[in-house]
Order: sequence, then structure tokens, then C-alpha cells
Amino acid sequence: MELIKLNIQLFAHVKAQGSTQNGRDSRGRRLGAKASDGQTVSAGSILYRQRGTKIYPGNNVGMGKDHTLFAKINGIVKFERLGRDKKKVSVYES
Amino acid sequence: MIKVIKSKNTIEILGHALYDDYGKDIVCASTSCIFITSINACIRIDKDFLTYEENKDGMKITIKGHNKDCLIIIDNMLDLLEELANEYKDYIKVRRN
Repeated sequence: MELIKLNIQLFAHVKAQGSTQNGRDSRGRRLGAKASDGQTVSAGSILYRQRGTKIYPGNNVGMGKDHTLFAKINGIVKFERLGRDKKKVSVYES
Repeated sequence: MIKVIKSKNTIEILGHALYDDYGKDIVCASTSCIFITSINACIRIDKDFLTYEENKDGMKITIKGHNKDCLIIIDNMLDLLEELANEYKDYIKVRRN
């Protein structure tokens, strides 16, 4: 048998460039507004999908456990300010 | 992960360490050096003691002779690979059947 030529990467995975352990991502969650300001909505329809309370529930608007905002009554959507730097969304009867 | 499987008269070293990028994989480098040093030493002592073949999965050694010194070298190689495996459990494993 011939002697084996020294190759200190003999049991390394041959890859031209470095490999990364990254390269994975989750699917987009389609967050954000589902109804626009001034739009007429029916009770129960979703107004805003969010993580945490980017926008707070206003009048006639409820919030689900995943912070989803939904209309409690039929009416018109209104995005309003809440204090100095926050926003809320309300639904007013049309 | 590199798998070292010692059977009656064969030793297979399969797989890749994947400890780091090519050229920086110290587990692979250690395994390669231990392996090549031991096999070459045996060949230098008794060229008919073993045969080796390389395939896409790794290396396979078949022990044919009974040279005492070569048997000691092979045992030493397996001991060193086991020590390495204790240090880098996720990257190399040794099994003696």
C-alpha cells in the first residue's frame, strides 16, 4: 500500500466558500392595517394585526389576545392620536 | 459528524466533522492527522499489514496482517480518536464493535 499524502482537511466537507449556519427565515405574517381610515366596516371585522400594541383600541374597538384590533359595531374607521406619541383606532356609527 | 466504526478487522471513518469552514475545521484536521500518521506508520513497518480505500463517504481500512507493533499503532489511533471524541462530542464519535 502507498503512504497516504498528508491532507489535514481529509475529513472536512469540501466547500469552496465558507458555509453559514444562517439562511433560514419564517414566512411573512401579513401584519398591519386591514381597514383604512374612513372605511365602513361591520362589527367583528379586523382592523389591525400587530405584535404588541403599536396601535391601541379606541371607541367601539376590541383587542384580541394577540393584540389584533377588531370593530365592535358597524361603523366608520377612524385612526386617531392617543396622548403625545401613541395612536388608537376607533369605529363610529355611520 | 465523523463516525469511526471499528469492527473485527475493519475500521471505517465516515462523514465530515462540520466543526467549522473548510480550512478551519480543527476537529477534521486532528482526525486527519491522527489517521494518516497511524496508517502511514503501519505501512512503513509492514506494507502488507493493511489496505485502505477512499470512497465518497470516507475511508475504510482492512487489517490483514498480525504485526504486533502495527496492532499497537492502530489501538493507539483509536484511543486518540476516542479522546478527541470526548472533547468534541457533537463532531466525532467512535464505536468499537
